[in-house]
Amino acid sequence: MITATRVLYDIGWGILHYIIFYPPVYQFVIIPGLVAALVVVIFIIWFERKAAARVQMRYGPLEISPRTGGAPQLIADLVRYMMQEIIVPSAVDFMSYILAPNMSMILSLLPMVAVPMTSIPSYWPIPMSYSLLIAVALSTLSPIFVVMMSWASNSKFSVLGGLRESFIVVAYELIAVISLLSVVPLLHTFDLVTIVDYQFSGRWLGLLNPLALLDAFIAVLMSTSGFPFEIPDSESELVAGPYTEYSGLLYGLNMGGAYIRRWAFSVLIALVFLGGWAPYRPEPGIVLGYLVPSLIVVVKAVIIMAIMSFLRAVYGRYRLDQALSLAWEVLIPIAIAAFGLSVFEAFIGVHP
Amino acid sequence: MPARPSLKRVPRATFLGRAIAGNLGALIVGVKYFIDPNRITLLYPHEYIKLRQGYRGYIVLIFDKCISCASCARICPARAMKMVTMEVKDKKLNRAMKKKYPVINYNRCIFCGYCVDVCPTEALYHVPYHDLVYLNMQDMILNVEEFQKEPEFVTAKEGVPVTYVFDEKRGLVKVSVEESSNQGSSSQPAGGGGSS
Repeated sequence: MITATRVLYDIGWGILHYIIFYPPVYQFVIIPGLVAALVVVIFIIWFERKAAARVQMRYGPLEISPRTGGAPQLIADLVRYMMQEIIVPSAVDFMSYILAPNMSMILSLLPMVAVPMTSIPSYWPIPMSYSLLIAVALSTLSPIFVVMMSWASNSKFSVLGGLRESFIVVAYELIAVISLLSVVPLLHTFDLVTIVDYQFSGRWLGLLNPLALLDAFIAVLMSTSGFPFEIPDSESELVAGPYTEYSGLLYGLNMGGAYIRRWAFSVLIALVFLGGWAPYRPEPGIVLGYLVPSLIVVVKAVIIMAIMSFLRAVYGRYRLDQALSLAWEVLIPIAIAAFGLSVFEAFIGVHP
Repeated sequence: MPARPSLKRVPRATFLGRAIAGNLGALIVGVKYFIDPNRITLLYPHEYIKLRQGYRGYIVLIFDKCISCASCARICPARAMKMVTMEVKDKKLNRAMKKKYPVINYNRCIFCGYCVDVCPTEALYHVPYHDLVYLNMQDMILNVEEFQKEPEFVTAKEGVPVTYVFDEKRGLVKVSVEESSNQGSSSQPAGGGGSS
């Protein structure tokens, strides 16, 4: 009898200790992962509406709770999305129609697997020798599902919209990859922890290589359909977008997936260019070693996302040809120039 | 002779000038309004535009002044105002007699104010508000008793009165009525619809 309870206790403790309180898991679930992403996404969407309203002489969401600036409005919107009926057209490929938005949402969080939040090895999700390369590679997976959504919709307008979206995918992936990897020749490493450790000297890579920072910023805006490049959303408002056949919560997943991808990229930019947890040196212990540095990174990433959201108030929408010509004619030369700048700085001996 | 307008020139000669000047200018304007917002949207039930006296709002009849001349019903271009016959007791002659009094149908009224203008004894007047809601269309056809009562201005209970003022630097600015009256004659109200 004693042995049976003992075994049950051991199993329960094992589940708690190795699944929930296992450090890599709560790194993936709690702080840069799912919970933090949802909180940040809700805050950023609210901020986006309020900032655009301030600039454009409006008020923004206010009616539900005027004292808090209408902050519960997004929860109300979420409830409304959840209540809405999901209409599945009879012609669609059912499995891929349902799976593609979910897979896109999940895979947009996947770069968090390779992102360290502290320099203490016991809190890393994976060993960190090629983490920057892995994070950049994983971030390129989720846009495939936009094309898959348009194909599964089985509507020629959606297929056209997905094709146009894939033009942008091809254009921005190159920019994002080159500009994020342009720190590599400067520091001779793919390891995000080493990259952050170098920036404790005060020489943030965003200051050493501002071209790469600017380029990565614009590429993230393009990839997550941020405002000047909000082409898939604007086509869905007509009937030519990749999400035209989607409704209800499935459409909400597309919108939220874009914001979560932007969150993952922002954490990556904060680590690579803005010093990560730079002013603070992690010490042993879960609070000092994991929570405080990760909160510093989160604050930096939220500031990046807020600047990206602020652009909604200023810019108008680009057409597809404008976005593509900006990508191929301006941003890719800038990305290559940023790479060259890194090589030059390595040549004159900036690197450690 | 009007002054020549001076156009602000943006350096658009080269590609770099175009890109940097255009984007930076837009961002600076955005940051300026983000820090110091100029919100001109009217939050309707919580704020309402204070209209001045003489605004052609709803029409009220003063029963004792009416001499049943029917000028108002004759001049009404929308045929909203009609005369109805009522049994009243005449004070001078001291006997019951039939007289005609105007009633109004707000389904048809276009608030032109001709009836108020033409009334020889000033028996009709406007109230300076116009945003009332009726539950059905039958309620919008008033009888003589209802026509004599001033309609209840419900918005004034909930909201604060505001008015729009033209500012040289910021353009149209929304201020509350007390502030605008403190500013005196330097600012002129620019909004408020067709205030006459």
